[in-house]
Amino acid sequence: MLALPGRRKHYRLIAAVAAVAIFVSGCSGSSDAATSAAPSGAADPQQPAGSSASAAGTSAGVAQAGGTITFGRTQAPTSLDLHNQITANNAFAIDKIFESLVSFDADGALEPWLASKYESSADGLTWTFTLRDGVTFSNGAPLTPADVVFSLNRHFKVGGPLPLAAPITSIAAEGANTVVIKLSAPYTPFLAELAGFSNGILPADFGGVAEDKFFLKPVGTGPFVVATWDQGGDLTFTANKKYWQPGKPYVDSLIYRLVPEDTQLIAQLQGGQVNAIDQVSPANVAELESNSKLAVSNTPGWEIETLFFNNLDTHFSDRFVRRAVSYALDRQGLVQATSFGTATVAGSLLPPTIPDYNAQTKTLNFNVDAAQKELKQSAFPDGFSTKLMVASGNSKRAQEAQIIQAALAEINIKVEIESIDLAAFRERFRAFDYSMMINSALSDVADPNGIISFQADPDAGTNAYWTHYNNPEVTALIQQGRTKAEGPDRAAIYAQIQDLIAGDAPYIPLAYTPNIKATSATVHGLVVLPNGSVRFQDAWISK
Amino acid sequence: MIGEAFTLPTPGALRWARRTAFTVIPVVIGVVLATFFLLRLVPGDPAAAILGDQASDASLAALREKMGLNSSIGAQLLDFMGQVFFHADTGNSLVFDVSSRQLIAARAGISMSLVALSVVFTAVIVVPMALLAATHRDRLLDQLIRIIPAIGLSMPIFWIGLLLVLVFAVRLGWLPVGGSVNGFASLILPALAVAITIAPPLIRSLRAQLLEVFQADFVSTLRAAGLPSRRILVRHVLRNAALPTLTLFGLNVAYLVGGTLIVEKVFAINGLGALMFEAIGNRDFPVVQGIALFSAVVVVAVTLVTDFAVHRLDPRNSRPGAQ
Repeated sequence: MLALPGRRKHYRLIAAVAAVAIFVSGCSGSSDAATSAAPSGAADPQQPAGSSASAAGTSAGVAQAGGTITFGRTQAPTSLDLHNQITANNAFAIDKIFESLVSFDADGALEPWLASKYESSADGLTWTFTLRDGVTFSNGAPLTPADVVFSLNRHFKVGGPLPLAAPITSIAAEGANTVVIKLSAPYTPFLAELAGFSNGILPADFGGVAEDKFFLKPVGTGPFVVATWDQGGDLTFTANKKYWQPGKPYVDSLIYRLVPEDTQLIAQLQGGQVNAIDQVSPANVAELESNSKLAVSNTPGWEIETLFFNNLDTHFSDRFVRRAVSYALDRQGLVQATSFGTATVAGSLLPPTIPDYNAQTKTLNFNVDAAQKELKQSAFPDGFSTKLMVASGNSKRAQEAQIIQAALAEINIKVEIESIDLAAFRERFRAFDYSMMINSALSDVADPNGIISFQADPDAGTNAYWTHYNNPEVTALIQQGRTKAEGPDRAAIYAQIQDLIAGDAPYIPLAYTPNIKATSATVHGLVVLPNGSVRFQDAWISK
Repeated sequence: MIGEAFTLPTPGALRWARRTAFTVIPVVIGVVLATFFLLRLVPGDPAAAILGDQASDASLAALREKMGLNSSIGAQLLDFMGQVFFHADTGNSLVFDVSSRQLIAARAGISMSLVALSVVFTAVIVVPMALLAATHRDRLLDQLIRIIPAIGLSMPIFWIGLLLVLVFAVRLGWLPVGGSVNGFASLILPALAVAITIAPPLIRSLRAQLLEVFQADFVSTLRAAGLPSRRILVRHVLRNAALPTLTLFGLNVAYLVGGTLIVEKVFAINGLGALMFEAIGNRDFPVVQGIALFSAVVVVAVTLVTDFAVHRLDPRNSRPGAQ
């Protein structure tokens, strides 16, 4: 974790308390105070953590209005339909336009957003959301409960890649500002999932526009509005003049500039053609940090770099073999070398930014003797030959693969590295046509159930991220975790799951990949969320 | 040549037109079909590219169905052919919400400007270099001009591009490092990179031709007639020597267009090259097919124009009554 200034710790504590409480009232200073701070000459009293990291040492100051942020990204948004095509790439454009009832902050703590208040009944089956006063869409229409009902129902109808997994039985508007959602069974990740990209709120019946036209010029409550969109190229947003947070966004416009090359991203930031970039490869961080005209932010995220085993493979179906590999890897050295010190070593499949992460997980850490002992107990005591598949064009992964190859050679496992193009790579692992691969997983939600279901639940539709891991004990615990209310009991369930998975080693988490962004030193107040998205409504440019 | 553009087509010109018609159409159709089948031979699923690694099998299957990827190859080919012949399009992009034609049209301008500028730069590099080498035959200058391009020839285009960025953009700061927002200035370095890679063989060819023409009888005759040597060089020698080099250039057009597409990637120019790389990565079949079709047409068109220029420049065709 980043060392945070003391003042921030204080807010983290508040956030933690708020997250633990099932009833959260948003009418106190926790979220509304932030919204009343217009650029009036006083610094925003609630600078989130991301901002202090984003423009190192320059975030203190008076927010100035005006200007344009040109944000270099390596991919162009392909669709702004928040239900159909919700890739990370599209999501980071979609969340500027649409907002959800709840959101999360830079530390992954849930916070009230379009709903100023939410509460659950004692049995966890009825959730009541009170809509924030004074929220309008960018077309001037006020936000009503009917819009919420329409939006969530469309999400249900379309399904899409981030389906609403909660067992919802009804979504109903009540009165002028209340929405009631009923569940057939308690489902603890519900709020966290509601904060996801696909649960943004759009106007009922698309505000009278045809569905296929609506998403070309979408109308939402978010801080930005699509001005021009060159499909496959740049996307230009202008500030939503009717945004519910007074005085925000500070900038006039935000341009998503397509720069399809990592090296070009850096070069264009250095050359001033863009004043913020969405990613920095670890190898370039030191170079950018030494440049006083630029600022680099490194914030913890929800992405985990992982070595995956095909648990159906001749060799890796043997638990002893997988454990031997885990012991054989010096993760500390591997992560230091391949991330240039920007990432942290992973001990659990959950990153520290997700609630109920267990720092004491019983990880099988580097120990060559233990590795050899495990292998001796396996069906292949004298070692064997295997293949490690990586997607080509990723220098970090190529390096990781070589380090793993060298480490496993020490215990007589001969590894051949197979580097293939990304599209073929995807096809191969989905067909279980691999022995080992390096890939990463990214949580979609601020709840442990997200990544754990995805990587360990045989019934989640992803075959435990195509490893085919299936441990009935873990599956039963996953079921319990979903219904157990937040608190120590739930944390204990997830601690146990993390231990069991570390012991079975169906995959080996290597590193917690941080979100690294860079800006010109004149850009302040970016908030980087753990999912990798950047909030721009608090960003401003010093003249 | 001015004032000669409206002469009646010679029998030679008619022969040339017939020949091109019989080669152009099969070439374009061949390229389109080859792209169609090659794309489907390589592994990779457009649906997986769109939804990413974490999408469930169920949502992947639903998207494949929606995209029409579950129909047979034959049906897809028929559908594709229908699109090409009836709509002059290769179908809707699988990734973006627009047709391939729109995507390509939006990006063709910048790529074609780059091709045109590369041609200009090539001429600007080749002609003076060859003239200097030929007029200083076997002296140091000639040796240098013969050696340096050989180095250029041995370097891949993206490497040359990176070197140019390092020197002129990063170190000297004269030109933008890339992108296409700075208009003409953005195109200088990439066009230069393309020109540097295709110039070496052209310089050699033109130098050899110039030396050959210098020996020709008509040059001695012109000299004896007292024409100034500069005029002899430009009007007579260069014109005669340029023909084989132009022909050689015509053979290199595909390389020129291909080089332009690759160099776009290095310089982050959001043209057809960038679109092509992304479309291949995403297995966005209609867009890749569209770019292949468009590039084939461009290559053929530039080749034809070159052929035609050779034909017109040939003194044997431009004198009235010549056969």
